[in-house]
Parts: sequence; structure tokens; C-alpha cells
Amino acid sequence: MMNSLKLLIRYPAAVAGVLIIFFLITLSIITVITIPYSEAIRLWRGDAETWQESPRTAWPEWINILPWENRSTTQVLSSEETGTKDVRALGEGISEIEIELPFQFHYDGFPTELTLFFQSVYGERPPHIELTWINPKGQELKIGTIEGRGAHRLSIDDELTRKLDGRPAHKGLFLDTDDNRPLKGEYKLKLNGWMFAEEDNLDVRLVVYGQVHGLAGTDHLRRDLSIGLFWGIPVALAFGFLAAIGAQLNTFMLAAIGVWYGKWLDGIFRWLTQVNLILPILPLLIMIGMFFSRSIWVILGSVIILSIFGSYYFVLRAMFLQIKGASYIEAAKAYGAGDARIIFKYLMPKIIPVLLPQFVSIIPAYVFLEATISVLGLGDLHLPTLGKIIHDAHSNAAIFNGQAYWMILPGIILLVMGVAFAMVGYTLDRVFNPRLRQI
Amino acid sequence: MSNIEIPEEQENITELANESASQKFFNKSFARIFKYMLTRLFTIGIAVVVGIILTIFIANWGGYLDEIKKATIAEQVGISVRENPALRDLPADERTKVIQEMIAIQERRMGLDRPFLTRTPGYLISALTLNFGWAPTMTSPSGSREVRLIILERLPATLVLFGTAQLFLFFTALFLALFLSRRYGSTLDKIIIALAPASAAPAWFYGIFLILFFAIIFPVLPFGGMVAAPPPLTTLGYALSLIEHLVLPVLAILLSAIFVSTYSWRTFFLIHSSEDYVEMAKAKGLPSRMIERKYVLRPTLPPIIMSFALTVITMWMGGIVLESVFVWPGLGTLFFEAIGRGETAVILGTTIIYAYLLGATLFITDIIFALIDPRVKIGTGGNA
Amino acid sequence: MTNKDILLEVENIRLYFRTGAGLVQAVDNVSLNLKKGRSMVIVGESGSGKTSFGKSILRLLPRNVHTYTGRVLLNGTDIMTLSDEQFRREIRWKRIAMVPQAAMNSLNPVIKVGVQVAEPLLVHGIATQNGIARELAMKACQQVGLPVDFLDRYPFELSGGMRQRAAIAMALVTKPELVLLDEPTSALDVLTQANIMNVLKRIKREIDTSFILVTHDIATSSEIADDAAIMYAGQIVEVCNASLFYREPYHPYSKKLMASVPTLRKDKELEFIKGQPPSLIEPPRGCRFAERCPSRFKRCSEEPNLFDVSDGHKVKCWLYS
Repeated sequence: MMNSLKLLIRYPAAVAGVLIIFFLITLSIITVITIPYSEAIRLWRGDAETWQESPRTAWPEWINILPWENRSTTQVLSSEETGTKDVRALGEGISEIEIELPFQFHYDGFPTELTLFFQSVYGERPPHIELTWINPKGQELKIGTIEGRGAHRLSIDDELTRKLDGRPAHKGLFLDTDDNRPLKGEYKLKLNGWMFAEEDNLDVRLVVYGQVHGLAGTDHLRRDLSIGLFWGIPVALAFGFLAAIGAQLNTFMLAAIGVWYGKWLDGIFRWLTQVNLILPILPLLIMIGMFFSRSIWVILGSVIILSIFGSYYFVLRAMFLQIKGASYIEAAKAYGAGDARIIFKYLMPKIIPVLLPQFVSIIPAYVFLEATISVLGLGDLHLPTLGKIIHDAHSNAAIFNGQAYWMILPGIILLVMGVAFAMVGYTLDRVFNPRLRQI
Repeated sequence: MSNIEIPEEQENITELANESASQKFFNKSFARIFKYMLTRLFTIGIAVVVGIILTIFIANWGGYLDEIKKATIAEQVGISVRENPALRDLPADERTKVIQEMIAIQERRMGLDRPFLTRTPGYLISALTLNFGWAPTMTSPSGSREVRLIILERLPATLVLFGTAQLFLFFTALFLALFLSRRYGSTLDKIIIALAPASAAPAWFYGIFLILFFAIIFPVLPFGGMVAAPPPLTTLGYALSLIEHLVLPVLAILLSAIFVSTYSWRTFFLIHSSEDYVEMAKAKGLPSRMIERKYVLRPTLPPIIMSFALTVITMWMGGIVLESVFVWPGLGTLFFEAIGRGETAVILGTTIIYAYLLGATLFITDIIFALIDPRVKIGTGGNA
Repeated sequence: MTNKDILLEVENIRLYFRTGAGLVQAVDNVSLNLKKGRSMVIVGESGSGKTSFGKSILRLLPRNVHTYTGRVLLNGTDIMTLSDEQFRREIRWKRIAMVPQAAMNSLNPVIKVGVQVAEPLLVHGIATQNGIARELAMKACQQVGLPVDFLDRYPFELSGGMRQRAAIAMALVTKPELVLLDEPTSALDVLTQANIMNVLKRIKREIDTSFILVTHDIATSSEIADDAAIMYAGQIVEVCNASLFYREPYHPYSKKLMASVPTLRKDKELEFIKGQPPSLIEPPRGCRFAERCPSRFKRCSEEPNLFDVSDGHKVKCWLYS
């Protein structure tokens, strides 16, 4: 049997597959360590606060590698760090505050949103702020007067939009004479205002949302998709692995029991296998998900239970029948071989060639099964899975809205995963199946 | 070595040893096939029933079946009250009381106060006949809200899509596999082997990419639906539009299954080409085309059909998402919609239709088996 | 012995094929003659190359064939020079037929027996109508003692003996000049073996066809053989008249073989041959039997020729040079 495994190296497809699997496993381990489970769940829940400085449905940053692409990235300017802040007390608790937030803009693409986040401390009256916008040409535009608290989304400010000839702020404030490109250079947002109490304080962050973000872009809830993708891998691997083991182990035991106790028990099991063939597994899983629970453990358990009497039962049964009828086991016992020796020297070499290829080959099937359930919207509610990302993309018509990355990135990862396991599985099949080697 | 003359063997192979007329033989053979088919129909039928029972159990986990029943009762009572002139004109709160009483009576009549297990046979019957009452939020293409019609009217679209795809798949894979088995080790052979793992991905997966390429980036084909909207008026126009819309989904299904099918059937052919009787055929001087057809293809058909049946069954399952991706107006999209709206009755019904479909697939496979495998015709030895 | 009497002349046949472990020299420079109407048995142990040789006459080569050279003269014409298509049309089954080893698998499981027996007639144009072909097939079945209603059965319905009879009928149906039998009875039980042997003996009496019987079973082949050839490690080591061979073989290997076969009427202490036949991948230089030969001497390190001992009797041994 070891010779068979050595033969594996001869097939480049298998080697590639094994390397990919190792890579994915390593990636999973790193991900799980750097972003522990609770953290991942928290991030993925997507509360407003976690992701508020992230653009919506942004493409991945690396698209800018392409020479003709120069899309805007998100810039955050804060009064505490990048800007200047001047506070002058005017007496009676009132103070004048002047904040300047300069930034450089050299992209070919417009920002996607423009929002001001205030961190202010005030008593009865919130600070009164006047906003002025200065573009690289030195032109000033009075944006308006607002209260210095909360978040102010300039992009959906109707008055501002009207002032800008019907163009939303993130476009209108960056326009050049050429309608399709923003003016490049230094921009500045000036905030002038008053605070009305002694202890009042005001800090502001201007977020110029970009078109691209992160390794994998963002989704409709502004979540950085790379978290979902990176965490999706271990979830998918674990699911596939556990499902394959669970199903195989149970089928293994049932086949052994069926063959051992013979006749009618075996007959019942074989009939159950027929029934299992007819059961529409996916709809049943969907119903379980809808009526019972969507927890991934329930799905895992149901998948295993529904797979126990799969057609694989016959393969294992044939193998056990062969072992049962083989006289070398009796012979081994006759010469006094211990159980361990019998198991390792005689049984394992018979069993592993049947189990191993099927085990590896069936993992992608389970991975895609879980993905399918998630794509249908019935996946685990909290866990970030690749299928879930595809589901979100599909529900938000990503393909039609020019957000193809949203669907394609998780898809490619799933494909690579599936293909890697399949390649190794096929090669194992060729190596271990003597009839195939004869050819 | 002495010459021991042993009398000719007295062989008693089959009871048919004395049959001479081929007519009688044919009848017996036909009777055997018929009996076989009945047995299979029975077995499969029981399996379908068991599957449906399982479905019912799961469905009622959350008491949903009872809810469906109750909803149906409530609607029926409501209708009958409205149509009853004596009751229609009662003041609102009295009418409500009457309605509630009638509902209670009906529920007791329906046995909804009895434990679930005793009601299972009743549910089973309604499940088998797809009698699930009316769907609150969905309608069938013809406008009915009856669940059974909603489901059944969507069935043809699914059958068209998958039937076409499966026919294409079978014959393409078969001929490709046969072709490849003659060219073992050639470049094309190596390519197919390399591509086989691509079948790890389900059809809907390829569907997404196909839509992206051929409907969005290069908009040559429609990205969804079964026919153009509004549908063409002429039969020819309709047919053409149908074909146009079939291309991408069928292609998606093909991509997900053809490589592995071709690969595994080509392997079957290779294995079976090394059988002794193939060498005998060569020795007899039969031309290679004839050998391929009668000595390689024919004996290998049974395992190929078995393998194809499994592929078809998997395909039915993958079809749910595939149809949704292409917005194909069949059972899959129906399922998807029903999930979105929480229409439990439709979900249940569609699940059951799928069970029927799978059962039918298995049954058809068995029929084909009976026709091509002489061991079934003659009935010697064990059956499948 | 005029040339007109010789049906088959095989000269210097070499058949090598590639395996993962190396080049197997299965048939290494084999030559022999067969006269019309006579039957020859080619005796050898497993791995001696006899089956490969038999099949090579019909050009049934393994997929991994490496070398296939030599001359095969059938009634004077070298059939090795024919193209594959010519060979298929003119030689296979029309002039040379084969009865395979009595394996379960030699008949197509999904085609009726009668159709398979009649097939060569239709393919080779000997019979142009199904009716005529079926008639001829029935005659062939009667010849081998196969009841005619088995023509409508499938192979799995027949017992081993019946199947083998059908195979013989199939080989005879086109009335070929030469029939090759590859271990025709090895997979059968003793009673059936005897039956089949009787069939073959009867057929040999009745028709003109020559037979070549390839087998390891010395005992049963003695009943039907006129001539005998012994193969060892891919080479012919002795060719002679069958009766002479069974009584008094010359080659040390043949002697040892005969000594290991029980006889009915004499009391005999059976001998065995020590050691193993050499591997055909790297055959030893010199006489290939030398290692196990009790009469080995210094010259044996050189490969002996096939020496003529008497009329039609050849031995590949330095003892008879």
C-alpha cells in the first residue's frame, strides 16, 4: 500500500491538489488564530459602527494593479490626526472652533460617498458648524450649516445636491470640467463654528469613501469581504471534512454490521439504500432548515444522517463480503496472530484502498452542498460562509450591478477547493483501483 | 492414458430446456420483464411513500402541517359563512363567534385535536395527491392559488430544461467516451482527464459564470427566463426563443457533468475492451467498428446506464439553484420563491414532486436495464 | 516431406512487449513446421511464452507490444507481410481460427450463442443470408455435440463444458485450415475435460483441419497430438513426433517433464524439477535451462542451436549436436 502512495507523486494533478489543500488548511489555521471565532462573528454581524468607515459594495483594491485602473480608495481625515484644529474661547462658555481637513486626491474615479462623523461633547446646544469646501483650483463652496453631532451624510444631502446641479456631493464636489474625471490635487474641508458650553469639545472625521477597499472588496453592508472569505474557508473545509467522516464512518459500521449479521438485516439495509436514493436530499435539508433550525450543526447532522445509506453502502458491503470470505484471516488467527497484527497487516490494506479515494472525492460534494444551502438563504445565520456571500450577492443582483467580484471571488475559492480535492481523489482512485492500473 | 468414454452430459440448465417454439419463449420473456417491472414499481413506490412520510414528519416538526390545515379550514369556513345568507348579515362580533365555532367544529372533525401519529395516514394521502389547499401569497402561471396547480403547472418547464440537458449529456458523453477509449493516452484524453475534477462544482456555479460572460460582458444570449417576454406569437418564433434561452442553462448543466461522465465511461470502455470476448471478436476477424458496437458498447451499457442514473439524480437536486440563477420558470425557482416567502405548503409539495421525479428516474432506469440486460429477460441469477 | 505438405511454417518469430519492469522477451526466435492434417501440441509451463506464441500467429498482440518480427508461411504465403486489414479479412477465422481458454469470458454476455457462432460466416461473406448462416451454425453445433436449442440461449445460461463446445463450433464453422486451441480444457473439471477431448478427437477424425494445441497439461494433450513441441523460457527446446515424445524425449527438460507425469499402467516415482524458470525480462545467456539441468556441462554457457536429430526431430541441446 505504501507503494501505491508513492505512485501518487507521479501524477502532477494530485501533487497540485495536495499542495492547494495544504495551502488552504494553513490559511484556515492562520485565519482562525488571527481572527478568533467570536471576533469573526462580531465583525460579520455587521453593526453599523463596525463598518461605518467602509464603502459599500466596493471592488477589491488590487484591481488598481491594472494599468488603466486608478480607482479611488477610502481616505479618512480626522481633526485629531491629519487636520488642524483651533479653538478660541470667546467668553461665557462660548468658543469658536475652526477645523481644517486637507487631503490629496489623485484618482481617476470619484469617491462613492462623503460623510462627516462628529465626536462631540456638548450640553444643551450642539455646536453650530459651517462647512466650506475648497477644491484644488482654490474655488470655495459653502456647503451649508449643520449641527456638530452624529453623522452627516453629505452624499444624500438634498440641498447640497441641488446646489451642485443635481449631482450628489461625492461627485459634484470633485468635478472637473471633464465630466468623467475628478479634479486632482489638494482638497480641503473647512469647518467653522461655535460651541456653547465650557466642557464642549468637538472632533470630526471626514470619510471620503473610495471605490475599492481591501483584499476582496465589500458587500452591501459595508463588510470587508476578505473576512467572510477567509473565514469561509475553514468553515467549508471543516464541514466537508466532518460530513465526509461522519457519513463514511456510519456507513462503514452499518455495512460491517449488515454483512456480519447477514441475511435479513442486510436485506433491510439494502432496501433502505434504495429509499435513500429516492429521497430528495436537498429539499429535505431545506425543509429542516426552514422548519427546525438553521444552525450549521443541525445541517451537518442532517446531512450525515441522510448520507448513511447512500450508494456507498454497496461498495463497503462488497468489501466486507470479500474480507469475510477470505481465508487469510482464519489462517492468520491459526498461526496465532494477534488482533492488532490482523487489523494492521491484513484488514487495513484491504480497507484503506476502498475508503480513502471515496473519502477525498466526497468532500467537495459536501462542501458544495453546504454552499448550496447557504446560497438558497438557509445557511447558518451567524457564520460567515462562502455560500452566504454568494447568496447576498445574488439577492443584490451583484452581477447586473457591475459588482461581479462579489459573486466570483467566493465562487473561485469554492471551485479551487472542490477541484483540489477532486484531483487528489481521482488520482487516489487510479492508484488504488487495480483494474484501472492494468490499462 | 486410457480412453474413457463418458456419455454426453445430461444437462438440466433451465426449465426452458425443452422449449422449441420461439413464440413461447418470447411470451415468457415478455412476462418476465412485465413481472420485473411490477416488482420494481412496487419497491420504488414504497420507497417514495417512505420518503414522503419522512417529509411529513420533518414538516410537522414545527407543527406546520397542522397550520396549513388550520389555515385551509379557516379559509373554507370564511367562504362558507360569507356565502350563507343567513349568516352573512349578522353583526361583526357575532359572526366572528360563529366563524370560530365552526372552525372549532371542523378542527375536531379533522381530528386536529388528536395526536399527530394518528393523522399521518390522512396527511400521507393528501401528500401523495399533492392536496395542500391554497397558498396565501403565491399564484400559479394560470392564476390559480391552489398549491397543487401552482406546482404542477411549473413542472413542464423543469422537464424541458432537464430533459434536454440530460439527453445531450448522455449522448455526447457516450460518444466522446467511446472516441476517447480508442485513443488512450492521446492529448485529448489527457485534457479530459485533467478537466474531470471540474465536475466537483455544481451546475449553478457554472451558470453564474456563463451569465457573466455571455449575457453581460458579451451580451449574446439572454440571462434568464424561458422565452422572451412577451413570448413570440408564432410557433417557430416561440421555439427559437426557447432554444435561445435554453443554451446557457443547458451548457451550465453540461459543464458540470460532462467531464467526469466522459472520463468514467471512457474508463469503463477501456476496462471492458480488455475483456476476453473482445479479443475473441478481434480473432474472429470482425471489423473494429462492429467490435466497438457489439462487443464493447453493448456489454458496457448496463454500468453506464447505472452511472448515468446517479448523475441524473444529482442533477435534479442541483437544479433548484440552477433554475433560480437563470430565473427559469420551473420547480426550482418555485422552491426558491417559496423559501423566500415562507410558503410552507408549496415547499412541502415541491419536495414531494421531487421525490416522485427521483422515483420515476429510478423506474425508467430499471425499465431500460430490463430491456438491455439479457440476464433480466431470462431471469437467471440475482437481480439488480 | 514436400513443401506442399506443410501447412504452417513459422520462422524466427520474436514477440517482445514492454512492461513497467522492463522488456519481456515472451517469444524469442521460435520456428516450427506443421504438416497438413496433423495436430501439434505446444507444451510448456506458465510463463514459457506458449500462449503469446499461439496468439501471435493470429496477430493478437498485447497493447504494449514492442517487437513482432519473423515469418509465418501459411501454405507458402507469408502472412506477416499482409496489412492489418488484409489479415483481418483473409486470415482471421477464414484460414486460422482459435478456441480460447475455457474462461467464463470468451463469449459476449449480451449476445445469443447462436448469433456469435454464425457471426464469422456473415462477416467474412461465407454466408450472405441469416438463414444459411444459421444452418451452417447448427451443423457446426451438431459436430461438437451441442444441442441446437442452445443457439438461442445466452452464454451465461450454458455450463462451462457447453460453452467450450460452442467455442469449438464457432471455430469450425468457417472451415478454417488451422485451428489454434489455447488451453481448451484447463478451466474445466476432469469429466468435462474428457468430454471435450472426445469431441476434439472425433472432429480430428472427421475433418481435414490441422490443430495446434497450446497447453501445460501433458496428460490430456497426449490423446490428440501427432507432433509435439516443447517451449521453455520463450524458446522451443524440442520438436518431435508425439509418440516418441511421450515415450522417450531427448531434451533434459522434456525428460524431466515426462518424469513428473503419472502413468496409468506403470509404477513410477514422480520427479520434480528444482528451481524456477528464468525471467523473460533478462533471459540468461547460453542455454536457458542450464541452471536446472542435471546434464549441464561447460558448453552450456553458449546458446545451443536447434539440432536435427532424426527425421522431423529437433532438440535444442549441446548433448545432441
